[in-house]
Amino acid sequence: MIASGIVETDSPEEFIEEIEKSQDVLPRKIDANPKNVEKGLAKLVLTLIELIRKLLEKQAMRRVEAGSLSEDEIERVGETLIKLENKMNELKQIFGLKDEELNLNLGPLGELM
Amino acid sequence: MKLYLYGIINSSDQIKESIYGLEGSGVYNIPLCDIGAVVSEISQPIRGVTKGAVLEHEAVVEKLMENFTILPVRFQTIIDGRDNLLSMMQSYYKDFKDNLERLHNKLEFGIKVIWPADKVKENIIKALKKGGQRMPESDSSVSKRFIKEKFEKYEIDKEFEAKADRFIKVMDIFFSKFAAEKKLGKLKTENLLLDAVYLVEKDRQNDFREAFEHIKNAHTGLKYLFSGPWPPYNFVVLSKKSGLLRDSEQADLFDKVTQCQTLVGADSI
Repeated sequence: MIASGIVETDSPEEFIEEIEKSQDVLPRKIDANPKNVEKGLAKLVLTLIELIRKLLEKQAMRRVEAGSLSEDEIERVGETLIKLENKMNELKQIFGLKDEELNLNLGPLGELM
Repeated sequence: MKLYLYGIINSSDQIKESIYGLEGSGVYNIPLCDIGAVVSEISQPIRGVTKGAVLEHEAVVEKLMENFTILPVRFQTIIDGRDNLLSMMQSYYKDFKDNLERLHNKLEFGIKVIWPADKVKENIIKALKKGGQRMPESDSSVSKRFIKEKFEKYEIDKEFEAKADRFIKVMDIFFSKFAAEKKLGKLKTENLLLDAVYLVEKDRQNDFREAFEHIKNAHTGLKYLFSGPWPPYNFVVLSKKSGLLRDSEQADLFDKVTQCQTLVGADSI
């Protein structure tokens, strides 16, 4: 018996590539087994920190856009964001994690970031 | 005995046709009240996902779709024995009934659209440059340069998302005319502009298809993938209460189900 639903496209390779890419960036669960529990936990914690860092950054950009930050405030926000980004890069390096690994699939809600 | 589950159907009747599923086992219906769980027996756990096994599963579900309303279940759903299966069906009976009614005579179609993300971004950057700098260049300390770079990226990303929203809205307005329900996935990757599934009435599937052709011809710079008709994999909705019924609700439902079983003679099967 053969499935009869059809798939039509002029660019099958491109769609395969994009679908695979979209699945690669969405790990369904944190891989925490006895052998790599430390990395699994670090991944979870760093994912949450990265989410907060990105929210802070976005909020800062919104304020820059609205023109509600003084020159001094822009200076301070910039310095804070640089330090945060550097610290995150350091932690990612320590635990051998890449940017694209810091995400979580929330099922029907989609991806965290 | 392990049972491989293909789906829940809106019938308690035995399947008249000979359908063979995984491991070549005969497919049959285990009724509960006025619905049924379509299964085949399986001797060993399925190891890994193979193309052949997935297609066998899908073929059974599609065959059932010809004659029944079906709630397809995920590939590799195996239940340990008939009692566990019936218990699961009792817990979810109301959900199954609601879904079977909602999805009656409806099919799922998938539409994916790729756009040239690099080109789109290039055009956005050009337009933003034309519009002029929104942050002063002077007095560029490291912190301010950092904020400036981040702000430029923020503006590009924002416009990129807004453009995606506009494209999707135009297409979706057209498709939605012929669909009962939809689920839209936006920019799952930078290039994958739209990854959508639409639930379409059986007698409107040709209209839906025509709508797709119209959009495809109207926006030639994009790449399209059309798929279906499929069983409504993405539209089965189980309520949060399922399986967590209070004792009184469970007892009430159990009474109703027992009555139904007696009426349809399910106990004797």
